[in-house]
Amino acid sequence: MSASLSKSRLQGLGTTIRHRCQQLLGPLALLGPAGIWLLLFLVLPTLLILDISLVPDLRPEDVGGAYGLGNYSRVFNPFDPRFDSVYLQVIWRSVYYATVSTIACLVLGFPVAYWLAIMAPRRWRNFLVVAFILPLWTSSLLRSYAWISILRPTGLLNTFITWLSDLIPGVDLPTQNWLYSSAAVFVGLTYNFLPYMVLILYASLEKLDISLLEAAADLGANPRQTFWKVTVPQTLPGIAAGCLLVFITSMGDFVVPTLLGGASSMTISRLIYNQFLGITRNWGLGSALSMILILAVSLAIALLLKYGDRDSVKEA
Amino acid sequence: MPRKRSLYLPSSSRRLGSTRRRFLQGSAAAIAGVTLSNCRQNLSNQAAPEADPAATTPEEGGASGGDSGVLHVYTWADYTSDEMVNAFTEKTGIEVIVDIYDSNETMLAKMQAGGGDAYSIIYPSDYMVQQMIELNMLTKIDKERVTGLENIFDKWQDPVYDPGNSFSTPFAWGTTGLLYNTDILTDTPTDWDYLWENSSALSKRMTLLNDVRETMGMVLKSLGYSYNSTNPAEIEEAYERLIEIKPDLASFMSFGYEDGLLSGDLAVVMAYSVDALSSIAEDDTLNYVIPESGSSVWTDTLVIPTTAPNVDAAYEWLNFNLDPAIAQLNTETLFNATPNKVAYENLSDEFKNDEKLFPPEDLLAKCEGIAPVGDAAAVFDEFWTRATSA
Amino acid sequence: MSFLGGLSLPKTWQGWLTIVLFGFMYGPIMVLGIYSFNDSRRYTSVWQGFSLRWYESLFQDARIFRALQDTLFVAIVAVAISSVLGTLMAIGLCKYYFPGKGIYRGASYLPLIIPDISIAVATLVFLASMAIPLSIWTIVAAHMVFCLAYIAVVVSSRLGSLDPNLEEAALDLGATPTQALIKVLLPQLMPAIVAGCLLAFVLSIDDLLISSFTAGGGANPLPLEIFSRIRNGVKPDMNALSVLLILASGMIAALAEYLRYKSSTLDR
Repeated sequence: MSASLSKSRLQGLGTTIRHRCQQLLGPLALLGPAGIWLLLFLVLPTLLILDISLVPDLRPEDVGGAYGLGNYSRVFNPFDPRFDSVYLQVIWRSVYYATVSTIACLVLGFPVAYWLAIMAPRRWRNFLVVAFILPLWTSSLLRSYAWISILRPTGLLNTFITWLSDLIPGVDLPTQNWLYSSAAVFVGLTYNFLPYMVLILYASLEKLDISLLEAAADLGANPRQTFWKVTVPQTLPGIAAGCLLVFITSMGDFVVPTLLGGASSMTISRLIYNQFLGITRNWGLGSALSMILILAVSLAIALLLKYGDRDSVKEA
Repeated sequence: MPRKRSLYLPSSSRRLGSTRRRFLQGSAAAIAGVTLSNCRQNLSNQAAPEADPAATTPEEGGASGGDSGVLHVYTWADYTSDEMVNAFTEKTGIEVIVDIYDSNETMLAKMQAGGGDAYSIIYPSDYMVQQMIELNMLTKIDKERVTGLENIFDKWQDPVYDPGNSFSTPFAWGTTGLLYNTDILTDTPTDWDYLWENSSALSKRMTLLNDVRETMGMVLKSLGYSYNSTNPAEIEEAYERLIEIKPDLASFMSFGYEDGLLSGDLAVVMAYSVDALSSIAEDDTLNYVIPESGSSVWTDTLVIPTTAPNVDAAYEWLNFNLDPAIAQLNTETLFNATPNKVAYENLSDEFKNDEKLFPPEDLLAKCEGIAPVGDAAAVFDEFWTRATSA
Repeated sequence: MSFLGGLSLPKTWQGWLTIVLFGFMYGPIMVLGIYSFNDSRRYTSVWQGFSLRWYESLFQDARIFRALQDTLFVAIVAVAISSVLGTLMAIGLCKYYFPGKGIYRGASYLPLIIPDISIAVATLVFLASMAIPLSIWTIVAAHMVFCLAYIAVVVSSRLGSLDPNLEEAALDLGATPTQALIKVLLPQLMPAIVAGCLLAFVLSIDDLLISSFTAGGGANPLPLEIFSRIRNGVKPDMNALSVLLILASGMIAALAEYLRYKSSTLDR
């Protein structure tokens, strides 16, 4: 009896397994290839970077090396004999550039998005929005390069300033070397990422209920009150998402600080680049810096998730 | 705009028992661990490639690169000309593709990262040759297959960086100095100190080489030390001096300053003689000076990396460049000083007597060659990172 | 004073600011365009007369064409493969619930969040540690990561707005799941897939960092060539190149926006 029972049980098991396999086939076929690819070329490499970042000063020619927190402690721990404040300075500078350009994008982008979403003629809205974000699709390298010819000492901006000073008697506007300064980096970053901000704010303002604005006005609120009490709270998720996006993209940007920043604008992404394809070839330190960058970006996202609206993150 | 599904939908993972889940987590971690330690091992293997060139197979590069007929050359920005490359192709039938790098260290980084497998010829400088030999990255040159080595000056027959020229062939030599626009500078710079003395007047109109050994070495020299100092205190002193003028530097750049100099965006730049002299040849408002306290004198060489896919073509390239006629052409058109005695003697007096190209012996005596500094390399790197990041 | 069918001069400061910022966005591109016709030997801001010489010298530049060829090869192969993988992934994520789905979905969003430099560095170290020699195929592999992520995002957003009954109806009527996928789902998704592919294509063409770290075997995509030329001294034919590239990608962008617009109005 036991034989027949176990046989039927086995058969049952066989069908279950076959059934299971068929059930799994769909998800595997759909999710398998992309999943494997992401695992191989994104997840595993990132884990590898984490691993290498724990080997102090690993260079490509080194054979192995002991684990330790040396790479991190020389960045963060002031009591480490190899501590160098320059790394914190670079991280701080990257955050500073990202913050200033985020604020600039918000201040410039909000009125534009507001006008496009609420005040512009309805039939032109889509066209105008697309036209505004169109430059986003063109090479960021070339758009940054375009700024070189404007900002350099004998470039267009200074030519224009000189022309203006000559035109208006008594006014002597100063010309200066705009290129290779923090100002150039701000301009470059704002120029590159303003369309993102406008796009996201536009999407958010478009959904704004105009009747709310009218109601506020009917109840006697002046335009400023309406703006701060109705418009801003209503679009806060969009504002947060836009700021996050601009912040993390400018934080990791390499091209703008490299081309426009010159000698005094080392940022974390330039420093990481230098550890791998540049002069110093310290893969261990470079990996640690890369992990710090990923962490900083994740932190920004986590903060938004905690305090902001989740939908807005997805919009981004 | 259609609404996206939430990123954070609770998944049905609760159905799995917690033991099972822990097991899965454990095995996933184990797999990851094994893979990672494998990776680490490979990393060090990769970094020390086997010296046997036959062991490395040329890699087919798909749409471009790798194919056996083409010679990929990895060199400095101004070391080849279309004229020269065409002459080579005409003579040998081998097509040449030239890629460029802007410092020895970036070239080394690219090669170590595995991005240089297509190159059969590289042009490292003296100290880098020595370093690459130590890293087993170079193929020993088969002297039987090379003709014309006897034409090289005695000075380069047995160089310190590569005794007996076993791994490299000297290609060109030159100096490092200051290139400036004579319309902008009222006085003539004579020494490195000029940069410090005029830093505020020339603020953001000066550049230094984006090269750790050249630039740190220059500051060391200006302090009266050696380019090859291994004393951390001296290197730190050099670093302190470098950051004095750092705020007034436009950029660290080894190439690409020419337009800036001509338009007046830049006033004075630290430059290699090769690039400086070809700029002057194009526009004589520029001038080049070798600082009187001395500078670096470098030799750039031709080497064949162990990963070279097309060794035969590489030897053709070596022999082609050892041809006195070609060496002479290179000096006349690219302004690198040739180590080839026959080519030198065939040059016109105008070139031979050009003290910027072939500096007088007493000035050369004050110059130094850059040599590997062993463990002090890390100190150089650290202060360089600090200087460029501050 | 209405012209262009209702587009009149703005009456508010926001409107004027928008005009100024339109100038800010397009000004630098115009500057490149104007300089590309400047008949000067050198890189100068002084207008020397009209000339097409930089376009002529550009068209004789074999290096640029080789680089362009590499770029297009990478972009087309990466986007072609990613369009399949990314679409399947988006459908799979929409359809199935399974343990670890949150992690899977999170990983699929990573390429959009992690800075390029970190992805680039990780890929390089991974390839080096696996002793995979760098070639044009490693660039393709690395580009596929972000291409499939972007395509999946665009396709997912379209999937969310589709009517699930349609596919179920097909299944009820006896279609196999594969048939239902190909005959019912894919046609509906097509505009989103194409828009996603165009986005991925433009991103791939524009990518400097990831290509820098994964290029080898003589492959030299256009952004690398441009970056190297900017660093090693620019000749004015770069302006001409910029104009052509910006025009080309602008046209792709306009097409993508048009498709997206069409696909979103379809539901309304």
